[in-house]
Amino acid sequence: MNAISLAGVRKSYGEVLAVDGLDLTMEPGRTVALLGPNGAGKSTTINMLLGLTRPTAGEVRVFGRTPDDAVAAGDVGAMLQEGTLIPELTVRELVDFVRRLYPDPLPLTELLRVTGLTDLASRRADRLSGGQAQRVRFALAIAGSPRLLVLDEPTAAMDVESRRTFWQDMRAYAAEGRTVLFATHYLEEADENSDRVIVIARGQVVADGTAAQIKADAGGTSVEFFLGAQPAARLDALPGVTGVTILSGRATLRTTDTDATVAALYRATTLEISDLRIHGADLEDAFLALTRPSEA
Amino acid sequence: MPHYLKIEALRMLRNKRFIIFVVAFPLAFYLLYANLYGDQTDQSTGTRAAVILMVSMGAYGALAASIMSTAVPWAQERHSGWLRQLQITPLPNWMIIAVKLLSALVLVLPALLLVVLAAVLTQHVSLSAGQWAALIPAMWVGTIPFAALGLAIGSLTRPDTAQPIAMIGMFGLALLGGLWFPVDMLPSAMQTIARALPSYDYASIGWEIVAGRTPPGSSVAALAGWAVALGGLAVFAYRRATVRA
Ligand SMILES: Nc1ncnc2c1ncn2[C@@H]1O[C@H](COP(=O)(O)OP(=O)(O)OP(=O)(O)O)[C@@H](O)[C@H]1O
Ligand SMILES: [Mg+2]
Repeated sequence: MNAISLAGVRKSYGEVLAVDGLDLTMEPGRTVALLGPNGAGKSTTINMLLGLTRPTAGEVRVFGRTPDDAVAAGDVGAMLQEGTLIPELTVRELVDFVRRLYPDPLPLTELLRVTGLTDLASRRADRLSGGQAQRVRFALAIAGSPRLLVLDEPTAAMDVESRRTFWQDMRAYAAEGRTVLFATHYLEEADENSDRVIVIARGQVVADGTAAQIKADAGGTSVEFFLGAQPAARLDALPGVTGVTILSGRATLRTTDTDATVAALYRATTLEISDLRIHGADLEDAFLALTRPSEA
Repeated sequence: MPHYLKIEALRMLRNKRFIIFVVAFPLAFYLLYANLYGDQTDQSTGTRAAVILMVSMGAYGALAASIMSTAVPWAQERHSGWLRQLQITPLPNWMIIAVKLLSALVLVLPALLLVVLAAVLTQHVSLSAGQWAALIPAMWVGTIPFAALGLAIGSLTRPDTAQPIAMIGMFGLALLGGLWFPVDMLPSAMQTIARALPSYDYASIGWEIVAGRTPPGSSVAALAGWAVALGGLAVFAYRRATVRA
């Protein structure tokens, strides 16, 4: 059974099509990143999975049930994009309150420990820093030991150090066979912390696969060298090459297979090659290429 | 559910504004007024003012507690995303409003009982066991319409509008209902309005009990009617505010 399945899901807000026909399935036990620019439809998709928003059309299933039933069964925990805590309550009171709502929660001391909140347990929620409050919201999301953990831009208010700790905690939680879905704009976050990246833009899936596949799909790496006045003919026929540009004597070959392209460049041509450089796949470029509205 | 109730009550008791308006205000005014006028007696019933004031200030505290613990906190929870956080836990939707109502009732008790305690200790107010047994539960359960009103306000308005509306509602009901001065002192047109308010029926039940009379059925029926009407409004508004679109 899939952890999540979306079939023909659409959501419109008046004129705005926030989600435009999503068909997705996610196996249990995987960590999946939902990557997309502002307004792509990430939060809308997540809110439909959580039963907070109803799809205009299509069907959403979580562990084979409706989102409402999955939530009622305690299978789901989530960190929403926006949310505040009850100011008058302490960290311990908040976390304990939420964990008791679930049928089979994590023990309180363990929960505080794994989220690094032990020292902050007696602090009132209105006296936490932004990053600390995010950590509490993460604790609330995992408090019930849910099978599916959903995180909507979880590291938004965190500094570099907190981010690193956060992803470690997330991976530790996922390692116990749970399913995690997180939304992010950060390309490296998606690359480093997930085993599948779903890129969405304008409410549609534009790429789906491992981070490496996505880089390759979007044009991959490039090989650049000094060509001078030599003829550029047949460069586009080299293995792996998907595009050739020549600018003031420098040739740039976009390729899906750097090794093959470079080998062929030396062995199969008689060109004098100098100052050869290989540019690693820039996920940033890949991402922009994928999510840019197509020029019609 | 008991744990949720405890958490809700605890957070309001830590709220300074709540403590000032709801617990400190009625207590301080009781002590002040009872000192000034406590020994006067009501001509028609012969009841000491210290006793009538106990009912009036207790009623004000209870009324304030039930509105202050509901309207603004609930509007804030909806607005700040805390409601959504609760909606993604197994907590059933109906339990949220049930706990809000129950916690309002729990929070009425300190406001009410402190005024009563002050009356007994400083003014030596003494009632028969039967009177106490009727007064306290009546003044406690009688706050249901006000808690329902507070919840309806919290469901229908944003936090920044809930604040003034709750304040106007609270002081309006208290002033016009005769909790701060007798309704008889108002111009006659205002008296008609005042006597139609649930706060007037609510306090009247208390005044009648301490005067040694059985509260008129009309007051009890009117207050019950308000409870049903405002309760219905609160449930309707809650449904509207929590519907998933
Ligand atoms: N309640 C709403 N009413 C009207 N339009 C909405 C509503 N919620 C979202 N939208 C619109 O739907 C689109 C998708 O929004 P969504 O919040 O899902 O994007 P997102 O990918 O989460 O973006 P971000 O990265 O900025 O959080 C946007 O164009 C947004 O303006
Ligand atoms: Mg979003």
